[in-house]
Amino acid sequence: MNAAEYTRNDVPDEIVIRDLGVTFQDNKGEDVQAITGVNLNIKKGEFVSLLGPSGCGKTTLLRCVADLQEPTDGDIHVEGMTPKEVRLQHKFGFVFQSPVLFDWRTVKKNVELPLEMMYQTKQQRSERADEMLEMVGLTNFANHFPNQLSGGMQQRVNIARALGIRPDILLMDEPFSALDEFTKEKLHEDLLRIWRKTNKTILFVTHNIQEAVFLSDRVCVLSPHPGRLSAVVDIDLPRPRTLDMKETPAFNQLVLKVRNSFEGGSFS
Amino acid sequence: MRKKHLALTEKKWFQILFWAVLVIAAWEIGATAVAMTKRTPENILPHLYQILAAAFSGKAVSGGMTASGVVLTSAGATLLRALGGFAIGAGLGFLLALAMKLSGLVEKLIFPYLMLIQLIPVLGLAPIILAITGDINRSRLVIAAILSFYPVAANTLAGFKAVSKDKYDLMFTYAAKKRQLYTKVLIPSAIPYLFTGLKIAAPMAITASILVDTLQGDGGLGCMLSQSLKHAMSIYVFWLIVFFSAFIGIFSTYLISWIEILVYPEKRSAAGIGRSAGKEKKYGRSTEKNRTQKEPGPETL
Repeated sequence: MNAAEYTRNDVPDEIVIRDLGVTFQDNKGEDVQAITGVNLNIKKGEFVSLLGPSGCGKTTLLRCVADLQEPTDGDIHVEGMTPKEVRLQHKFGFVFQSPVLFDWRTVKKNVELPLEMMYQTKQQRSERADEMLEMVGLTNFANHFPNQLSGGMQQRVNIARALGIRPDILLMDEPFSALDEFTKEKLHEDLLRIWRKTNKTILFVTHNIQEAVFLSDRVCVLSPHPGRLSAVVDIDLPRPRTLDMKETPAFNQLVLKVRNSFEGGSFS
Repeated sequence: MRKKHLALTEKKWFQILFWAVLVIAAWEIGATAVAMTKRTPENILPHLYQILAAAFSGKAVSGGMTASGVVLTSAGATLLRALGGFAIGAGLGFLLALAMKLSGLVEKLIFPYLMLIQLIPVLGLAPIILAITGDINRSRLVIAAILSFYPVAANTLAGFKAVSKDKYDLMFTYAAKKRQLYTKVLIPSAIPYLFTGLKIAAPMAITASILVDTLQGDGGLGCMLSQSLKHAMSIYVFWLIVFFSAFIGIFSTYLISWIEILVYPEKRSAAGIGRSAGKEKKYGRSTEKNRTQKEPGPETL
């Protein structure tokens, strides 16, 4: 606990979000505020969740960090650079909700794809892909095609591919929401293990309170209409986290605290 | 017992046998009925054994060649031109689809009018094209190319458009160049659609080539068809050519399916042997169905 506090105060900010706002135009040409006035600092190596119901702008916020969405107000700096500069330097890996695998490529070739964009040699790519597949436990499936894998395995490939480029930051957009409960729990443990081992900064979007509390150092609660940051809850559960922690009173109290921090009361 | 029947109807060889028996029975009933009316020349619908006998008889029917010899030599000229026209049409179709994908302007200018090509009775224009090109072989090429062009262009474009937004986003996060987006994502994604187009186009190119033959007595399959109908040869030769043409039309589609399996690794894995082969095949079939449902169905336009 104390050690965690110490590191948190000592480590520099990796991602700095200032007064961020995104306004869309709907079909009628009217302005819709997706998110407004978001301020958030994320430390290096921190695991932060963006939690909220649909329409709260959590994915929009993540996409702004990834340079997939242009903010209309405020700015984002990652390691002192703009999101575009960070993207061009391959400093972040993005894990989409759907695995987005290429079905004509084998699992290994899918993991190699981003490395091809970085002009790595064939041997470098192959070695890196093997290493990543070993980390997610799919070594035996390297030469399978994506449609021969289960949903959970496909999502592991997706994570392996994002980590293959050695990013500093992992941006994850509801990566486990389409999976069944058992697979999800297994992947939670795997993700935490990988995170501990690689020491990445993770920004994780979810609409599942238990998932956010179990995984994160901090849970950022967003509320809709307009999307805004309504609370930030520190999760001081010890690490490494295990599945039986979900049964402890401390865990349940934190879940309750997060739930009550939604503006307008409970999470509907 | 019932389960056993169902299992039998699932078998490919059983389905083929079922249809073969049905068609042969219908044909023979028809042939007998025609023979009984005695008002038409009796062998306008000959019995199948008579056609088979003609195919294997050594008797010369035209220019010292046997019936099978006539069919095979005339098929050579027709098929070669059909293949040439098909290759040109398919190549241009693919390039046009690529151009339409690359440029919104090209798409807006061309795509709405592309289907007009399908509405023009190209085969009706065959005599004009023959007059313009002045050569039966060149007009076979041109007409086969025009007919192959549309299904390939429309299906390939549909393939480019079916690439999900997630894939573009993913490539964007990798800071992929436009060329990389095309070579690594868009073109490979469009390949199954391209093959759908090729499967439609191949028999059309062959049909077109045969029909163009009928315009000039230069010894193609179509030319032999009209000659045999005019009783220069026997009616058996006519039916031999009909069966042979039908066979090569069907065969061309299968040939393209085989090529697809060779070039597209996903298909290869689905057709592959092994423990999971059966399961994978089923999966492959269902995605095929989804794909055709999702498509706007350009070939029906």
